[in-house]
Amino acid sequence: MSAFFDAWHYDGKSAVRRKVEVQIIGAQFFLLETERRHGPFAFSDIEYVTHKDDADVYGLKGTDGWRLMLSGPVPTDLNAMLPARRNYGGWVDRLGFGKAAVAFTVASAAAVAVVLLSPQWLAPLIPSSVNEKLGDALVGDFGGRFCSTPAGDAALKKLVASLDANPDDLQVEVAKIDMINAVALPGGKVILFDGLVKQARSPDEVAGVLAHEIGHVREKHVMQALLRQMGLAVVLGGIDGNSGALVNNMLSMSYSRESEAEADAHSMKALGGANISPIGTASFFDRLSEMDGSARSKASDNGIAGYMSSHPLSRSRKDAFEKSIVKGKNYKPALTPAEWTELKTMCTQDRKAKSGFGFDFN
Amino acid sequence: MNDDLSQRHSAFRFHGSWLEFARIAFPNLLLTIVTLGIYRFWATTREREYLWSKTDFIDERLEWTGKGMELFVGFIMAFLLIGLPLIVIQLISQGLIFRGEAILAAAMTLMMFLLLFYLTGVAYFRALRYRLSRTYWRGIRGGSDDPGFQYGVAYMWKSVMGWLPIFLGVPWSMISLWNDRWNAMSFGPHRFSATAEWKPLMKRYLLFYLVPFLVFIGAVVFGISMAASGGTPDALGSTGMAVGAIFAIVAVLSFYLFLPLAALAYYSKYFRLAVGGLRLHNLEFDFRARAPDWILFFLANMAIVICTLGIGYIFMPYRNWKFFVDHMEAYGEINIDDLTQSETVVAKHGEGLLDAFDVGAI
Repeated sequence: MSAFFDAWHYDGKSAVRRKVEVQIIGAQFFLLETERRHGPFAFSDIEYVTHKDDADVYGLKGTDGWRLMLSGPVPTDLNAMLPARRNYGGWVDRLGFGKAAVAFTVASAAAVAVVLLSPQWLAPLIPSSVNEKLGDALVGDFGGRFCSTPAGDAALKKLVASLDANPDDLQVEVAKIDMINAVALPGGKVILFDGLVKQARSPDEVAGVLAHEIGHVREKHVMQALLRQMGLAVVLGGIDGNSGALVNNMLSMSYSRESEAEADAHSMKALGGANISPIGTASFFDRLSEMDGSARSKASDNGIAGYMSSHPLSRSRKDAFEKSIVKGKNYKPALTPAEWTELKTMCTQDRKAKSGFGFDFN
Repeated sequence: MNDDLSQRHSAFRFHGSWLEFARIAFPNLLLTIVTLGIYRFWATTREREYLWSKTDFIDERLEWTGKGMELFVGFIMAFLLIGLPLIVIQLISQGLIFRGEAILAAAMTLMMFLLLFYLTGVAYFRALRYRLSRTYWRGIRGGSDDPGFQYGVAYMWKSVMGWLPIFLGVPWSMISLWNDRWNAMSFGPHRFSATAEWKPLMKRYLLFYLVPFLVFIGAVVFGISMAASGGTPDALGSTGMAVGAIFAIVAVLSFYLFLPLAALAYYSKYFRLAVGGLRLHNLEFDFRARAPDWILFFLANMAIVICTLGIGYIFMPYRNWKFFVDHMEAYGEINIDDLTQSETVVAKHGEGLLDAFDVGAI
């Protein structure tokens, strides 16, 4: 089979433009110039390059800059041998624009869903040794800010033991930082800030907050939140491609509302099991939520805003704790008055512990 | 076979239409959204294919042969090389801060900053190299054998030298870096030569540099003349206050108005000088847009984006390219027989680094 068709050709070696005839012989072709014959070239090596003005441009595999430009109506036998034109790119062209758009939408939704849900499945799979190492790497000895006195430690140990069945894999510390806040970190680490302990009116209040943070640890929320933030950052990072935003997203880690509710439920259960009245915790939330805007901004000096920003406060949380009160139950104080005093004054007594952050935290 | 360019009106011509571009840009936008941004690499490629193919140089269209996959791979590489280490370093330095090792954390952050600074320079270089190596004209492409690692060092010290003398060295560093970049590039067998001078740029730079001072001096002079003619604001009463307020607004507005205008005037001169100093064998280049052209161009861009509530943003690549090509000019002659294929290596990945830092084009 042989056919002839006019075309323009660059050989890729020089910029000279050549007017050629395409001579098809089976699966190969020659390009005929007036005095020269180029080829043979195999049709299987031909690839689509681009569309230029009114011409389709084809290249040759392995020959940089080799071009065959066909314009006008191309004979069907030649057209049949040439690769398909590329428009949107491989997948979209194969599926068609509409189908591809739908398929991508479904795939994207699935990706986001997996990222949102998988932390719950993945977090328990991460070995506790990794958790612990990560917690150690993050916290260490907190720059020597943990407070310790024999009596204070004993009081704290008693409190933790009453709230949790396996107190040995928890590491609860009081840090000499004047902020009303408490955090749960990877590796079963819970840090109560001294500001929170000092302002509490009863050991029951501290018990409720502590049980809430232990709840985050026991329900594996800490690793979940870390994984979720990382996953989201990776998936959504594609949109603007800004690696900086990725880092920021990761660091603004927070728990979902469901996690907070779970931690609250855990706290109420633990309080009930330890025979500690939830009324103290309820009144703690009450005091925080009753502050109006101006009091809140003033309160930020005391670090109350810190707890508020990481723990959504609402009347319903206070109500939930109030509702969990069992009437007629014989509640005991979480600590004896002597133990409570020791815990409260632990950081004042421990002169070796460093105070504050020692640097501008913002 | 010589083409004498001096006879022609302009060697570069753009034949695109924004309606045709819209048929590319809108599907791109849709696909980019449904793929959570991942399609944008293929979107960019399609837009460039169109813009290049509608651009004439002398008697042949340009060809963009870059692939979306290349840009995607570049992005992934940038993420692995920069994004992941950034996250890890951020975590470690946070841990160090918690442990009270603030100085070590600061040192690590500084190292991270220096690394990013260096890679930004490398990214500028490699983006230009990538673009030239994917741009074909008559089957011939450009490129560079320099990987740009040394340029990264030059970028660092020249930028710092530009800032040190209270930022008065910026024009020198910009021009000098432009020359460094282009002197390493080639097209076909010919190396570019860039010999732009920075001294003619200083007057425009000083204009931009002095705008804040001029506005301030204007305010002082006005204040003094007010005081001399009308006594104290008390004596003038509410009229005086109103005049003062209006004046303050005018001063702020003029600051926000004059500063961008002066910046554009500077950039226009910079680009004219930089392109004017460029040579490729027997070809000389020129960029004819002057400050008023740039100002009109930017005002029109802003108007388009604002009036279309942001959708017009997708036409910015079109407008930028059209502005660039419309004002490019080349003089001299090309010997087509001498213009042989480039022997520079072709990198397999795209503008990942540049993409990651979100810095602009050439």
